[in-house]
Formats: sequence, structure tokens, C-alpha cells
Amino acid sequence: MKTKLIGLGILAAVIIAAAAYVFISNSQTVTEINGYVGGEKIGLLEDEEVQDILRDRYRLVIDYAKAGSIDMVTDDAEGRDFLFPSNQTALELYKQVHGDPVKSEIILNTPIVLYTRSAVAQALVDSGLAVVTNGVYTVDMEKLTETIEAGTTWEEIGLPQLYGSVSVGTTDPTKSNSGNMFAGLLANTLCGGVADESNLAEILPRLQNIFQKLGYMESSSSDLFDQFLKTGMGAKPLIAGYENQLLEFAVENPDTWEQIKGDIVMMYPTPTVWSSHVYIALDEAGTAGIDALLDEDIQRLAWEKHGFRTGVYDTPTDAAHFGVSGIAEELTQVAPMPDANTMDRIIKALS
Amino acid sequence: MKMKRGFIGCLLSIFVILTMFGGCNVGSTDGGEADTVLGGGSSVLRIVSGSENSELEPILEEFSDREHVRIEMTYMGSLDIMRLLGEEDIPYDAVWPASSLWLTVGDTEHRIKHAESISISPVVFGIRKSLAEELGFVGREVSVNDLLEAIRNGKLRFCMTSATQSNSGASAYIGFLYALLGNPEVITSEDLQSDELRAQMQELLSGVDRSSGSSDWLKDMFLQGDYDAMVNYECLVIQANRELEERGEEPLYVVYPYDGLSLADSPLGYVDKGDDGQEELFLKLQEYLLSEDVQDEIQRTGRRSGYTGVSEKNKDVFRADWGLQPDRVLSPIKMPAADVLFECLNLYQTDFRKPSLTVYCLDYSGSMSGEGNEQLVQAMEQLLIQENARKNFLQASENEVNILIPFNGGVIDTYTATGNGSELEALYDKVENQEVGGGTDMYAAAVRGIELLGEYDLSQYTPAIILLTDGQSSGSLSDFEAAYAGLGTEVPVFSIMFGDADETQLEELARYTNARVFDGRENLTEAFRSVKGYN
Repeated sequence: MKTKLIGLGILAAVIIAAAAYVFISNSQTVTEINGYVGGEKIGLLEDEEVQDILRDRYRLVIDYAKAGSIDMVTDDAEGRDFLFPSNQTALELYKQVHGDPVKSEIILNTPIVLYTRSAVAQALVDSGLAVVTNGVYTVDMEKLTETIEAGTTWEEIGLPQLYGSVSVGTTDPTKSNSGNMFAGLLANTLCGGVADESNLAEILPRLQNIFQKLGYMESSSSDLFDQFLKTGMGAKPLIAGYENQLLEFAVENPDTWEQIKGDIVMMYPTPTVWSSHVYIALDEAGTAGIDALLDEDIQRLAWEKHGFRTGVYDTPTDAAHFGVSGIAEELTQVAPMPDANTMDRIIKALS
Repeated sequence: MKMKRGFIGCLLSIFVILTMFGGCNVGSTDGGEADTVLGGGSSVLRIVSGSENSELEPILEEFSDREHVRIEMTYMGSLDIMRLLGEEDIPYDAVWPASSLWLTVGDTEHRIKHAESISISPVVFGIRKSLAEELGFVGREVSVNDLLEAIRNGKLRFCMTSATQSNSGASAYIGFLYALLGNPEVITSEDLQSDELRAQMQELLSGVDRSSGSSDWLKDMFLQGDYDAMVNYECLVIQANRELEERGEEPLYVVYPYDGLSLADSPLGYVDKGDDGQEELFLKLQEYLLSEDVQDEIQRTGRRSGYTGVSEKNKDVFRADWGLQPDRVLSPIKMPAADVLFECLNLYQTDFRKPSLTVYCLDYSGSMSGEGNEQLVQAMEQLLIQENARKNFLQASENEVNILIPFNGGVIDTYTATGNGSELEALYDKVENQEVGGGTDMYAAAVRGIELLGEYDLSQYTPAIILLTDGQSSGSLSDFEAAYAGLGTEVPVFSIMFGDADETQLEELARYTNARVFDGRENLTEAFRSVKGYN
């Protein structure tokens, strides 16, 4: 009887000790890492399910400050564990400025798309700049670029309610990724292939002309997208952004999306370019973020809730849950971005 | 306001004691007083905001009561907020300028997180309805050039905020530039060099009756004075009309210049200093403001909010008989790139705006001796030494006039400086070297100021008297009233309260001249900067 009691006592002590150990080790070994992140990934990093997986499986908390993809690789990143820009060019630029990072890996992909309102989409179709196939809108980049260069007004393509001439609103290509990639896409279009050293001299003045006409540009893709939705058709008739932005918005704001989905149109430029979100670890602590973010469940959440096409979900078959019409299942018309040196010269020319 | 201040002081001391003993959620603890404090509670959110948001205080108060959060609002022009973002220490938890433009341009250190637009309001012309009809602006599309034509013909005079201090003024000014340049795709640096532009813009801005450092105060000033038109946010014109209607006066008619329109998107952003508690609190407030019910309430104040525009049931707020067009597609002009924008603003300050004619009446009575006088000298250094003034877009223009009247029990002397060169900087020597002593009679100094102003053709200037005093003044308002009446035009007498100044005396003067009182007790330099933004 007595031994039984002692045994129970020991058992209880062990259980308490074990519980205490788990509690203490849980609370003690969670590492917080900190870095610069492009605005379009904030939704993913703020996702509680993602944060739980990071904490429970990887003992990791990812803290961040928002910064443009180009800014973050050229600015001083003192005290940061990682950078999470939205394209591979940023990685190349990083290497040129700072040398090889501790580690880097592509975590997410999403194509550059154009966003507009239904009235504008209709006008683009009517004027032959865009076509609709099986509900998916595609925009002919060559014709669109010609229209922009010609200074055609919105009124001339049937939109007298809009002031000024046809243009695509982008983020500042010298600061942020979506604008930067759209500049690369325009450069490709202007040279009729992939822009490089051999054709840059001819296209740079034309590119400068297109961007100069935009005046002030936002430095973050998420701010531009927020303004596109909130300031209405007049302020931002046509913008460049990421496919995932709208998909994520629709998941996160189902009620709002229900109200506005009739008016918002996503269009795929032909060809488009992939934005590959590459994670750059700056120190040992930062490398932990790579494995964690490649976790299968995080990759699944990245698609289902945030609209990023990941390694497993590049050609998704399950897009219905977004409630967004016109998502292209497969992207066949994708061009490579100009290489880092070419992009660097483009950025400098647009500065 | 005064009651509130006492209350803040009380709260603050309780707060300090509480925090000393720990267990309390503290935001930024930097000194400086808020303009308005909403609610009580142990947690505090300090927000620096464009003054147009003071109209949303009841909505913020609801949140503050429900969540037991004290909200401290400090109002500043959007351009001042932009400059603040460049400082090392931002003593606020959140920023709320009128437009995201200033946030993006100012936040070079990437310290702002979670910025989201709370509401949208276009910058419009509000014109006395009968005048708008007379000018043919009712029921048709109006261009900036139509407005300029009316201004050139002397048929339209208007009030606007300073383009270098406030977003609404800056937006309108950029709209004017486009129109005068023949509506180019975007303004370039080369465009700005033209002599023709200079002449035309000077002529246009000569139609500005009164200027102001902030939009909400412009509206208040408009309501107190007798003016024909103002450039302001659509929502503030609606607010003004509500009051005009209540008084049985003629409302303003809203004109949306189709080739010079700009939008204020009112972004509320978090200043990240790594405090998770504050971040959570901020997000709670932001979520509240963006919730469906509150967005609806915000819409009732005349702001466009939500993703779907003005709802059917709120259309009554945007009254057609006031010229409002809730369904209008708001198609704004493009803002120039940041470097060109700053060039535009500098030109406004030094070349384009109506030259200011400023009389500084400065107190050199005995009580100013020591620290008071030192602070005064430092503050004037920020305004008179042009290298300092330029940092805040407060540099003097070529034709402006500055008059210095040091006073104690009477006027000590008067000094006049014309232009922005050596004469102006020489005034600073006078400020620095003037001895302190004697009694205080601010009325005597103000009367002398009025007499000196009487020697100028005031229609060619933006005149103002800026009075700094630190004590109970002898003399009386009636002395001043007699001189003022003789001037035959409205000149605001702004005052800066310092030391033991008598607020009632200053308020009385401000009310009488449609001006306002600034508090220099916390930060005299800041007070001088603010007041200078008004002319």
C-alpha cells in the first residue's frame, strides 16, 4: 500500500516535471527572426495557422518590416536575419552588392497580372487589346504597349469618364518588385523578345518615356492594390500586380468580395513573367525560415488562403474555393525576365 | 480644450505613478501634449493625424469607451507628418495623414506597418452657391481653366491651405500647375522653369484671400469669416454646409475640376517600435474603423468609404443641391514624381505664393529673462535663418516683408526687412541682441503693428501679426479695436502662448481677428513653425 502510494507520488512528480519541461522548453526555445518582407507576403506571415505551424513545429516566430524588393537588397540590412523579396533578380542584385548569402531558396511563385474594372476590361476587349477565352482574360502586351506609347486617351478607347491617357499603374520599379517586373515585361515587349545588352540602348529611352508619364508611384504592391480597390475606377483604372493578391483578398474578405466581384477583373498579360519569392538568409538564425516555410502545410495554406502557386501547386486544379472567376489553370505564355545586369541598367535608367 | 488639458495632466500623473509600479501598458512616453484626448483607460494610443480627422472624434470616442483605451490625437498638416517620419524618434503609435503619398515619401526608414486607407475624399472647390450659378459652374463639367478664368477676372476669390504644409493645398496647387502648363501627361522639372508659368501662377495665387496651415481650421476660419469660396476636402465642405444651413445661410456648391482633381485616401498606419501590445491595440482600432458599421458611420460624415462607393441610404448626405456627385467616377490627376513634387513645393514657397507680410510682436518684458528669452531666440532662428527655414518649407520669398516689434510695457523699437536675403537674416541679430526688462503691453505692440501694416497695399500680400507673450498684459482690447477698425481689412492676429500668458486675452484677440492661439509652452519652436504655416 505504502509503496503504491510512493509509486503514485513518483509518477505524479514525473508527470509534473515532464509537463514543466515541455512548457519551459516550449516557451524558451522559440526563436524570433526578423527581416524585410515585400508587402504582398504579409498576409501569409500574419496568418495565425501559419504562425502556429512555425511556432509548434519549428519553434520560430517571424517578425518583419515591410520593404520594397529592390530597396531591401540595396539598403543596409544590419541586424536583420533574412530578406524575402519577390523575385530572383533581387537575389542576383544582392549577390553583386554583398556577395553570396548564407542560404537562399524559392518559396513561392505567382504571375504578374493586370487588375481592372469591368467597364475598362470591356473597353480593352472592344478595342482589340484584350481577349476573353473560356472566361480567362488575356492582354496582348504588344498592342497595349503600342497604345501607351501612342498616348491614346481613355476617351479614345471609349471611356470618356476617365481623365488622361491609357497607362498601367505600377509600383516604383526602382523600389518595388511588381513595378520592377512589369518594367522587365515592358522591356521584353519593346524588343520583341527578352531584353539584354544588345537591344537595351534602343529600348531604354522608350521605357523611360513610359514610366516618366506615370509620375509618382507607390513603393509597395500591397498599397497599390489597396488603393486600386478603394479609390475606384477613376483613380486606378488599370494596375499591375500579382495574381495572389486578388485570390488572397477574396479568401480574407469573402463578404466584401461578394459585393465587388462583378466589377473587378483579373487579366493575364501575354506573355507574363513569374514572380518567384525567394528567401535570402543573412545569418544562421535566418536559415531556419527556409525549412519552415517549405513545410508542406504552409505551402498548402500559401495556395489555399493566400493564392501563391507553390512547388506543389503550380498548376492547381482546385481554384474554385476562391470564388474568383477567370483564374488561368495553366500559364503557357511565360517569358523569362531579363538578366540581373540588364535589370540593373533598367532600374538605373528609371531612377 | 482647457478643461481637457487639466484632465490630461491629472491622468498623466496617475499614469506615471502606475507605470512606475509596472503592470501597465504604455505606448510612447515622449512629452508633448495632444490636441484632444478621448476616453480614459490604462492603455494609450497616440495618433498624429491630419486635422480633417478631428471630425471623426465621436467615432474614435466610441471605440475608446468600449475598449477602455485612451486615444490621444495630435493634429498636424500632412506635410509636417511627412517630415516627422524622417526624424529619429516618432513619439506616436500611429500616423494618419490625408494622403498615402506623404506616408510613402516620408517613410524612408520603413517604420510604418499596416497602413490602410480609412476613407476617401476628393479635394474640391466649394463656392457660394449663387456665385457658382453666376459663374456658370452649376450643372456642367468645370475645368481648372474655367476656375482660373473666374479668378483672373476678379470674380472669384478663395481660401486654401498652404501647399507646403497641408495636403489639400498641395493637391489643389498641383492641379493648378497642370492646368497652367496645358495639361501635360505629367509635370517635369523642365516645365517648372518657365517664366510664363511663374507670372500666371503668381496671378492665380493672388486670388487667395486667406491661407491656413490645416484643412479643418480652414473650414472653421471660413465659417467665421466672410468669404466666397474655399478649396477643401469634399467631406469638409459638407460639414461646412451643414453649419451654414443651420444658421440659415447660403451653402457652398461643390465643383469637381475634371482636369485637376485629387483624392485624399486617409491612410492609418502603425509606427513599429517592436511593442506587440501596442501593435495589437492599433490593429483593433483599425479593424474597428474598417468594420462595416463604422464605415457606414464614417460615410455619414461625408467621406466616401468602403469598396462599393456611397451606399444608397447614405446618398442623402451627398446632396445634389450642394453640387455633390456621390456616383461620380473620381478620376484624379497624376502626382509628379517625388523629386519634381518637392521642386514644385519649393517654388510655391519662394516664388509663386502671394508674399507674406508678417509682423512679429515679441515680448521682451522682465519675465522673459533667462530660459524664456533663449527659447524665443532659438525659435526665431528657425524662421529667420533661411537654411533652417528651408527644411520645413518655411523659407521666405523674394518679395515678402517681415517686421519685428520687440515690446515690453511699450513698443521698444521697430525693424523692417524686405525679401529673403541679408535684411531678413539681420533681423535675427536684433532678436538675439535685444535686452530684456520691464512690463508687458501686447496691445501697444499690436496697435503699432496695425499702423505699420496700414502703410502697405495689403491686397498684394498675405498679412498677419504673430504675437508672442508670456504674461498678463496691461492695456486693453478696446485700444486695439480702434486701430484695427481703421485698417478696413481682416488681418489675423495669431498669438503664441508662453509662460504665464493669459489665454483669455489671447483668445479674445484671436476671435476678434479670425485667427487662432498656438501653445508654445511645450515646444516654442514647433509653435512658431505652425503659426508661420498660416501665412
